[in-house]
Amino acid sequence: MMEDAGARGPGAAAMRARSGWTARLKTGFPIRVVGLSGLLVLAAITPGFTAAPSLLSLVNTGSLIGCVAVGMTFITLSGNIMSFALGATTGAAAVVCAGLSGFGMVPALAGAVAVAVGVSALQGFIIGYFRANPIIVSIAALALIGGVAEFASGSRTVYAAPSVLDFLKGRVWGIPLTGLVFLASVVIGQVIQSYTQFGQRVMMVGSNLRAATAAGVRTWRTVTGAYALAGFFTSLAGILIAGRYGAGTMEYGAGYDYSAIAGVLVGGTAIAGGEGSVGRSFFGVVVIASVTVMLLLRGFETEYQYLFTGLIVLAAVLLQGRARA
Amino acid sequence: MKIVELVLRNGTHRAFALFVALAAAFVAVALSAGLPLSGETGFSVLQNFATFGPVALGLGLTMLVREFDISIAGMFGLGGCVAVLVGASGPALGVAAAIAVGLFGGVAQGVFMTRLRLGSVAVTLGGLLTFGGLAYVLTGNRSVPFGNLEIALAMNAPILQIFSLRSLVAWALFIVAAAIVAFTRVGRDMIATGSDRQASALAGVSTDSIIIGAFAASGTLSALAGALLSYSLSAASPAGLSDVSVPAVAAVILGGASLSGGTGRPLGTAAGVLILCLLRTGLTALGVSPYVHEVVTGAILLAVAIADGPDLIRRVSDATRMPSIRLRASGPRSS
Repeated sequence: MMEDAGARGPGAAAMRARSGWTARLKTGFPIRVVGLSGLLVLAAITPGFTAAPSLLSLVNTGSLIGCVAVGMTFITLSGNIMSFALGATTGAAAVVCAGLSGFGMVPALAGAVAVAVGVSALQGFIIGYFRANPIIVSIAALALIGGVAEFASGSRTVYAAPSVLDFLKGRVWGIPLTGLVFLASVVIGQVIQSYTQFGQRVMMVGSNLRAATAAGVRTWRTVTGAYALAGFFTSLAGILIAGRYGAGTMEYGAGYDYSAIAGVLVGGTAIAGGEGSVGRSFFGVVVIASVTVMLLLRGFETEYQYLFTGLIVLAAVLLQGRARA
Repeated sequence: MKIVELVLRNGTHRAFALFVALAAAFVAVALSAGLPLSGETGFSVLQNFATFGPVALGLGLTMLVREFDISIAGMFGLGGCVAVLVGASGPALGVAAAIAVGLFGGVAQGVFMTRLRLGSVAVTLGGLLTFGGLAYVLTGNRSVPFGNLEIALAMNAPILQIFSLRSLVAWALFIVAAAIVAFTRVGRDMIATGSDRQASALAGVSTDSIIIGAFAASGTLSALAGALLSYSLSAASPAGLSDVSVPAVAAVILGGASLSGGTGRPLGTAAGVLILCLLRTGLTALGVSPYVHEVVTGAILLAVAIADGPDLIRRVSDATRMPSIRLRASGPRSS
């Protein structure tokens, strides 16, 4: 099943190579562009959208989703679709960060990063080494992380030591640190993807696992690395959340996996893997965050955001199918 | 020895053997610890069975045709919400509405993936989020109480000590599905589609209809299970009353199904569900905290996911081979 998704017809690549522009016209690319710019225009003309508080909330919402989305991009690119566990990983990183803040800033940050990278890399290893199904492994990890974290924290909110994490709420040149962390993540992620051998291997493994194996790539290392990176970027979101609320619970992470995959797919990264980029996910996240803020400004309740996220993922998936059919 | 080998080779038999062994262990532990064993124990196992059994059955049918439906959890919640909201004017109407929503959702997903040649995971990921979002919008992000307490009592009233209306419905669904898979042409076509889709299509099987049918069944069963659970708990919540996806996936693979398709029968899935229910009842009887359930089910799911991994056997045989041979063999085949 996964292979069916991973191995695309040889015609697709050839067609793109022959004529990028006309092929794009045929493949639903205009629909995507028109749809997305329509959404952005609709957001921009919403009363109050350009006011400072709403822009601030745009940056905050978008940045937290965005860090997770940068991580998710590597999972999607490597041909493993998505991880249901990144939301729980975000929550766990926030809990660990808040819990360790009593020992100082460095242990808090390092602990959160280590936990998130550790659990994600372990999933990547299981998926890469045994070729276990990534969706099932991530669902199992979701249950395990959730159960262990609730058990360890006694399902109470873990409060951070006063003022240790307050610097995370700071601003540099008027831009919230949250936004800068997101921008840095996008830049670092894109550099890793485009300019390192590891990035090339992720694309190879994602577009054709068998060919990558035949070419001598140790695919399990690449997959483990992709998941470890996903864990790293996700931990940044968890740390920022712990800083913002001065506390951590598993609930803070709920839903980040879904919003992140929505951003990745809206950006145009292929769900089958091997095609797309971190930069595209940046634009996808901007769209998702703008629409979230717009829905709030227009008086829609949270439940419409859930429905909207669902519809937009469904539409992105179907458009990709149309492009290939 | 030969009988043991035969039993272990067949996924369904293996699941049943595991269930019998676990049940024996359960009884032994309960007797030696002096815990009371009564009809109530069986009743509680079967109530759990009724909650996620039909969901696992639907998922198992999609895995039989070599697809995977991750929208089951979303449809389970949506079914419950629809049933409670519509059921205010008549419980039968509520169940009918839930079934209609499930059927429509399943067929729509099936049509999308066969027409557009899309992977089932991608389409049902969209389905999962859309169904979940619909449930939130319909209920206004609140949990909705169901006023009809008579229905709740009727749902949960013990029949023959260990059954209830809800678990009898679940068993009936399993038996019908097992009969269809075992004795009808549709069943054989499903197994053929899951084993080798191209060959089946060449042999004249309408593989697209089979796949759409499997997803229709999966959506319907999930929605129905959600509706019945909501009736029996007198409430519906868009966040889902019970996390069904982890135990459902674990049960299906324990029951002998594989992501490589063509294996796993409804009765095997039933055995897989019973194993998990027995485990859950046992853990509750031991008085452990609810998080332990979550961890145990998650660990089981992780274990079956590794066991189902196509490279497991190669990795294990690589690791147990003599070191000298391993050195020679690891040349061209790197990964």
